[in-house]
Amino acid sequence: MRAALGRTVFLGCLWAAQPALAQTPGDYTIRASLNSDIRGTQPGGNRDANTDVVMMHVLEGLVAYREDTSVGPMLAESWSLSEDGRTYTFKLRQGVTFHNGATMTAADVVWSWRRYLNPATQWRCLPDLDGRGLSKVVSVEAVDAQTVAVTLDKPSAIFLSIIARADCGQTAILHPDSVGADGQWREPIGTGPYRIGEWKRGQSIELTRFDRYASRQGEMDGFTGGKVAYAARLRFVVIPDASAARAALLGNSVDVLTDVPMAEATDLRTRAGVTLLHTPTMGVTAFLLQTRDPVLRDPRIRQAFALSLDVRQIVEGTMEGMAQQNPSIVPIRSRWHDEAQSQRPARNVAAARRLLAEAGYRGQPIRMQVNRRYANTYDAAVAAQAMAEEAGLKIELEVLDWATQLDRYTRGDYQMQSFIYSARLDPSLSYEMIAGPKETQPRKVWDNPAAQALIQRSMQVTGDAERQAILAELFKMFSQDVPMVILYNQPDFLAGRDAIQGLRAWPSGHTRLWNVWVR
Amino acid sequence: MPRIRLRANALIGSILVGATLLLAAASIVWTPRNPLAVALRQRLKPPSAEFWLGTDEVGRDVFSRIMTGAGTSVMVAGLAVLAAVLLGSLLGLVAGFLRGWVDRVLMGINDALLAFPGILLALGLMAVIGASQWGIILALGLAYAPTVARVVRGAVLSIREREFVEASRSIGNSEGYTMWRHVMPNTASPLIVLATSMFGWAILAESALSFLGLGVPPPAPTWGNMLAAARPYMESAIWLSLAPGLCIALTLLGVNLLGDALRDRLDPRSAER
Amino acid sequence: MLRYALNRLLLSVPTLILVSAAVFLLMRLVPGDPVVLMLGDQADPQQAADMRAAMGLDRSVFVQYGLWLLHAVSGDLGRSTTNDLPVLPLVLSRFQVTATIVFAAVAIAAVVAIPLGTVAAWRQNTKADFAIVSGATLLLSIPSFWLGLLMLLFFGLKLGWVPVVGYVSFSEDAFKAALYIVLPVATLTLIEIGILTRMARAAAIDVLRLEYVAHARAKGLRESRVLRRHVLPNAFAPTLTLIGIVLGNLLGGVAVIETVFTLPGLGRLLVDGIYARDYPVVQGCMLFIATIYVVVNLLVDLAYPFFDPRVTAS
Repeated sequence: MRAALGRTVFLGCLWAAQPALAQTPGDYTIRASLNSDIRGTQPGGNRDANTDVVMMHVLEGLVAYREDTSVGPMLAESWSLSEDGRTYTFKLRQGVTFHNGATMTAADVVWSWRRYLNPATQWRCLPDLDGRGLSKVVSVEAVDAQTVAVTLDKPSAIFLSIIARADCGQTAILHPDSVGADGQWREPIGTGPYRIGEWKRGQSIELTRFDRYASRQGEMDGFTGGKVAYAARLRFVVIPDASAARAALLGNSVDVLTDVPMAEATDLRTRAGVTLLHTPTMGVTAFLLQTRDPVLRDPRIRQAFALSLDVRQIVEGTMEGMAQQNPSIVPIRSRWHDEAQSQRPARNVAAARRLLAEAGYRGQPIRMQVNRRYANTYDAAVAAQAMAEEAGLKIELEVLDWATQLDRYTRGDYQMQSFIYSARLDPSLSYEMIAGPKETQPRKVWDNPAAQALIQRSMQVTGDAERQAILAELFKMFSQDVPMVILYNQPDFLAGRDAIQGLRAWPSGHTRLWNVWVR
Repeated sequence: MPRIRLRANALIGSILVGATLLLAAASIVWTPRNPLAVALRQRLKPPSAEFWLGTDEVGRDVFSRIMTGAGTSVMVAGLAVLAAVLLGSLLGLVAGFLRGWVDRVLMGINDALLAFPGILLALGLMAVIGASQWGIILALGLAYAPTVARVVRGAVLSIREREFVEASRSIGNSEGYTMWRHVMPNTASPLIVLATSMFGWAILAESALSFLGLGVPPPAPTWGNMLAAARPYMESAIWLSLAPGLCIALTLLGVNLLGDALRDRLDPRSAER
Repeated sequence: MLRYALNRLLLSVPTLILVSAAVFLLMRLVPGDPVVLMLGDQADPQQAADMRAAMGLDRSVFVQYGLWLLHAVSGDLGRSTTNDLPVLPLVLSRFQVTATIVFAAVAIAAVVAIPLGTVAAWRQNTKADFAIVSGATLLLSIPSFWLGLLMLLFFGLKLGWVPVVGYVSFSEDAFKAALYIVLPVATLTLIEIGILTRMARAAAIDVLRLEYVAHARAKGLRESRVLRRHVLPNAFAPTLTLIGIVLGNLLGGVAVIETVFTLPGLGRLLVDGIYARDYPVVQGCMLFIATIYVVVNLLVDLAYPFFDPRVTAS
């Protein structure tokens, strides 16, 4: 497995160093599975994770996430930040061409940005940039044909992290013809290495190579870096059923499986002719504890629950060594995650019993909401239930469908949940995702005013050391309060037939099929 | 006329159903291992002397779960049928006996419900009620009640015109009494026959609901949710799905054969209808 | 005849309205809505409220239903909240897939099951009857998705005879299309054979008791001739009714099979719709299924006299 990954990386280096060995784009199709059809083509509109995977082949923004989850330039050549920390000036790359042949200029960037900031667009990330979140974009202006300035009302350490987000459509730069005269969305005319081809709803969507794609120099780096469309066509086939998708890969009906569930991954790992790649993503798998619940309000009971669990065994047993326990909301692959954030108290059933006795717990059943859509959160809940039982904590599982569980989560209507968070690529955003006043935002899990103040500060400070210190403090407070028990960062599993070369898993979890070729 | 089939049916049916009930009953007092005990280090072990039918994806003993599952499956299916029979008979009796606009309204609703495929109705109801043992009993009960109502109403309509009902009325018995004393008992045979088939449907429906993601929630094992959970491992750990799959198929075979025999006994004229 | 048909259709209108109202209400009772799913774990309350307003979900259920019904009458079933496709064409295109499989399976099953059931009835209470009935009973006792998966495993993966996932429509490539649906059709066929054989047998037993069969026998006709000329055609009529019921149930109930074989059919559309809280799609599907159910039953009733001599006689 690891050898396969290494081999791929090695080939990648060869390609950069020795053009003689370079792969050449060919006239073939790579077929990849998706577990559901894409929802739409409008960046940051009606979308889900699968939509993002497909659209990231078509669309590009000013900046994009790198392999190490930092933000790097994409359509921007470079950027600079003004003295007061409010104005970002983006220098655009020369010679970038839209899918319709037009050359990208500052005017297109301004048009795209102003469209996103218009509430009528219903851009998903607008609340983060219109003052409801941290800061507000007050102006977007073209300085010259190759320069754009974006001004905020106050400095923000996370501005670039927001606009690079895949679920925001990477704040992609679009040609104005993407929208009809009536203002209605037509089709994405972007700058990516592929363009949208035939879309058979509910069955498949095909992307075709954009021959005039202007690639950045250098190696592939997350969503940025050099991109070569080796395959003339990419066909994403909708296979909702995971077992069927695995069968399709083994039966040579598809070449690549995206987003493979754990059970299928364990099986594929042992198969000949198939390579399974995995890497921890920035998403979080955790048990949420409702701190407003009459029983769980008592921190001793929450601590007892945490102490009753052997998290290492849960992770080892349910993930078979393909995930690493992580007690912190900051993802293990984040550069802000340090050794201190890997420490959690060892399992101690006696101590848990003692705490429960002190708290006067008399075997009241606690209901944990679970779902079968994310099988690993379900398996973890089954294991935790058995472990908590040994400490005398009675947990009942309540299986809900995902929409219902999400609804309960949004309302804070639960005692416990086995939950899965989507990726946050910035530690402040990770904390912001769970912390807040339950009174006004019932979905927030951790309601601690002191922590919220710290989180706010972490979003504004610019010094790395200071930020790291704040994060250490936050982790300490979080571990004391136990509003949730974090298990691990769920891995992204990606499987390909052996003939498929260049495939790489990375922490964002979005499968990339550029720079991928058939041997 | 030779009676091979009837006797063989009754015999095989009784053996299969009896075995299931025996498993279910035995599981109350004894199982080889704790069916709920998770042992993550023992995942997906094939059948052996230690684990007779192997272990599942979190290391629980499959044989013990099959035993306990027999109990849960039988209970869920049995109670669902009971719910359907109670609700459906009430509807059918009232509609068939009162006739007129009551009948038309009730049967209108009934037809509307019948137009839903049962499993999808149950799926929708499960989503509202939430997946719990009682939820699935209620959902399946509601889904099957219209069928019962239709059968009971039909039976009532044909019975109410018979002499003994007329006689009961003519000697001054109230409608309610007549219904209770004379009409209801006579709907019993078609109902028993229907209930037997419904018991089979309920076991199948529970497994299909589990497959679609909304069956009886764990940790309580049912054959249906075991089969559904086994599905990613069909190739690598076939025993996981063979055991509950065969249990369902054989029990259903037993139930249906027994149903045939019952039908022949209770209603020899319209054998098999 | 025509008046009878029209009358029946008219009578089914209240049923359909009732179905649609029940579905509408049921879906609104289910926790969670399309907006919750779209925004996921980062739902900003204000943004969620805006989206609900844009979708019209902020109005009262009665107003929403009224508007939906009004549009539905004019043939507009709205647009999917998942992918913004108009619902009616979506439902129709998915129905083609389901109908192909269901009709193929029921047709094949009927061809096998009716003679089988008739033979069983003719040889009632013999070993042959016992074997046929037990076999049929075993077939209908197998959970359909399990049978499907076993077939997929064996024919798709172990032997590699057929592709394991996907769908090609017949208009695109008939040969390929057949290859893709052979397993789902086979699975359904096996189970339907179980159900239909038992039904056909019961119907044939009734016919065998009728006088003209005894009459035919008395005339000295050979048994095989009695069977072919009198029993088989007459047993067909009651079986037809039951086929009607089976069809109606199947059209909605193949969701499980469609999931196993990843076919873009109506059942899966509906189940996915329920999970995605795609209100317009669920409402549209249910209305469509109920309509099909009504129409199929009507057609069966209308066809009945053509096959059953007893009905025309009376």
